[in-house]
Amino acid sequence: MRENQMWQVADENEFLFRSWDDEFVVYNGATGDTHLLGLVAVQVILKLQQTPTDAASLAEWVAPLLQTEPDDELVFVIEQILTDFDSLGIIEHTRL
Amino acid sequence: MNVSALTPSELQSRLKEAGIFLQTGAFIIHVQTSIRSVAEGIARLYADYPLVEDAGFADFHVRLIPPGNLRRWFRPQVLFSFDGRIPFKPLPLDQAFPMLEWGMNWCVSGYSHQYLILHAAVMEKQGGAVIMPAPPGSGKSTLCAALVNREWRLLSDELALIDKAGNTLVPLCRPVSLKNESIHVIRKFEPDAVLGREVRDTIKGTVAHMKPPAESVAQSHITARPAWIVFPKYQPGAPTRLEPLPKARAFMRMVENAFNYSLLGPQGFQMMESLVDACDCYEFTYSNLDEAVAVFADLKLPAP
Repeated sequence: MRENQMWQVADENEFLFRSWDDEFVVYNGATGDTHLLGLVAVQVILKLQQTPTDAASLAEWVAPLLQTEPDDELVFVIEQILTDFDSLGIIEHTRL
Repeated sequence: MNVSALTPSELQSRLKEAGIFLQTGAFIIHVQTSIRSVAEGIARLYADYPLVEDAGFADFHVRLIPPGNLRRWFRPQVLFSFDGRIPFKPLPLDQAFPMLEWGMNWCVSGYSHQYLILHAAVMEKQGGAVIMPAPPGSGKSTLCAALVNREWRLLSDELALIDKAGNTLVPLCRPVSLKNESIHVIRKFEPDAVLGREVRDTIKGTVAHMKPPAESVAQSHITARPAWIVFPKYQPGAPTRLEPLPKARAFMRMVENAFNYSLLGPQGFQMMESLVDACDCYEFTYSNLDEAVAVFADLKLPAP
């Protein structure tokens, strides 16, 4: 993944969310798929819905939720989530 | 008038000529056939079902068509016709009655999108319904057959129909499909259970259908409130174990067992959400039917 690569939620996606305890089910109206996601992954979607963001900034966004530091390990976790979301058609690279 | 009001020859004659209009839960199914084994299966297993006289209308028109040419003599086969079309390859004639059952399930699951439909057994007791979604081989039908012989009302052993308006469970009370070893297990568990003829060498092995309790058939118009979602798993020798399942995970497994969830779009998601909200969710492992029935008897209704 390129450093500072900016991501955004793909335009056509519309989500329905529902949480029980710390787990979420997320329905993507564009694909008809439903995903089981954890808190961090959902926060990534919510942030990318607001504004295009890169992995490092996303790590800073979710770190307080996890009561941790936005270190390299957390950035790596976020990058994995972004890769998964990209393959699922949930997010895309920011168009310049 | 119920099917039992007809003599075997009257039933066979009606099936052969105009057919019968069978009320099965919310559906009227028009069945036509000249195949004797189908008439015998209907007489035995659908005895308590109402016949709709002068209906004219049916949700599904189905025919079991016997071979008409040389096939009559050499490895005879049967065709299933639905609204005049032949959706499946023929099966050996001996499998005509199971083919009727499978075909009727196919009609409902493929063409009744006024409901959210799950591959699941549904039983009700004292105002609460348990939904048991499961893939084939999980022991779902065996457990369902046992429970309906122990005071649970049968809504369906195969298809859970969830009404869009009220999120209630709509009965589709039909014979319970037993396969292979579970036929023997249920005969032993409930010697008074009425089973149809065993049909061997089907794609599912040996199958036999169990007649539903007459009370369940009589209450086929009464919907039920969802109370529990239980994912059963028969495991030889395993201790009986009922374990809570996190709701989000239950949701995803319900989706895996749904026929038309995707087709319903956001409404499907919202219906599934309401269903999971209303229910306590469990995984259930069993090998002993008596113990399994006792666990279900102890289920407490969730708080409203």
